[in-house]
Amino acid sequence: MTGIRVMESYLLANAESVVARARAGDEGALEELYRAFEAPVYNLARRICRTTEDAEDVLQETFFEVCRSIGRYREEGSLWGWVRTIAASKALMRLRRNKYRDTDELVEEVVGHRREDMALRMDLEAALERLSETSRAVVWLHDVEGYTHEEIAGMMGKTPSFSKSQLARAHQRLRRWLGEEVEV
Amino acid sequence: MTHLTMETLLSLREAGLEPGDASARDHLEHCVACRGELDRLHQRVARIKALPALRPGRDRWPQTSARLRADRRAHRQRVAGLIGLAAAASIAVAVLVGPRPGAVAAAGEQEIQAAMQRSQALESALSQYHPEERMLDGRTAGIAQELEDRIARVDRELEMAELLERQPRDDQLLKLWRERVGLLDALVDVHVTRASNVGL
Repeated sequence: MTGIRVMESYLLANAESVVARARAGDEGALEELYRAFEAPVYNLARRICRTTEDAEDVLQETFFEVCRSIGRYREEGSLWGWVRTIAASKALMRLRRNKYRDTDELVEEVVGHRREDMALRMDLEAALERLSETSRAVVWLHDVEGYTHEEIAGMMGKTPSFSKSQLARAHQRLRRWLGEEVEV
Repeated sequence: MTHLTMETLLSLREAGLEPGDASARDHLEHCVACRGELDRLHQRVARIKALPALRPGRDRWPQTSARLRADRRAHRQRVAGLIGLAAAASIAVAVLVGPRPGAVAAAGEQEIQAAMQRSQALESALSQYHPEERMLDGRTAGIAQELEDRIARVDRELEMAELLERQPRDDQLLKLWRERVGLLDALVDVHVTRASNVGL
């Protein structure tokens, strides 16, 4: 059983019957789907979006879409995988809509090398928060959710090379901000 | 010595080989610094994966389900409108082509037409109460939800009934439209009674 299937059976043990009832329009079943996947969807959204409000909106948008299109879900794939892809797309759509600034790049431009000389050690959460929206989304989707660069590129409307370079750049920054640089 | 770039280190973590991976692995075998970097990269990713799960501060299901209900209602109205147009068109054709055998069929069509008109009037009455903007107590909301679910099921059956042959279709349509009117009547009662009780 794959990791994603294990997670799904942990989140929603009786997925097949819940999906069947949800397809028939049973609101109780739709709510069961929501309750089962609410936390991981929110976590994914919050890790990608800048604010809790945006993440909550993504949560709502995701389940609105899930409930509306549950009839189109093909059971050969994992239910959580399907829900997660909808959530990732909605979160990325939110990023595009908000056109967040790439804050880490701005900080680098303003303070230049002074920041690097400070050998700043940051908490991992704070360092992730400081990454640009796009870089953080790529880190999360690739390193945590396990999407390939091709899949991320497809969701972002970019090339796999773009996803790879965003990931490399993000790790270089995290390494520096976390004080992991070692003199060679 | 030129050390491995972050992009190359990351590619070494990927399943499958990329061009240049063999020479990168060769370099890694002889370079302590790059092995250290790769270890730190593995550890960093492990730490990111181990971050605590963030949970929403408030429940968004009520808004989500309210939006779904509003969407279903709009869909229902569209379906009812389309079915109404289709049925009206078939009646018009029947009138133009001339009398069909048996007056029973025409009477049936009239009854369908009457049920459809009643259904539309009830939809219109319901929409004037803006039910999606009103708060209902748990029990009333449950009843309203049950009625809306049943109306949605009737709508799906109406769509299917349109595909039947004429006589079974008319019988089925009449039955379903009557059922729809009954359910809508009950739904209007639920909303209107509750609204008058609290003086809305």
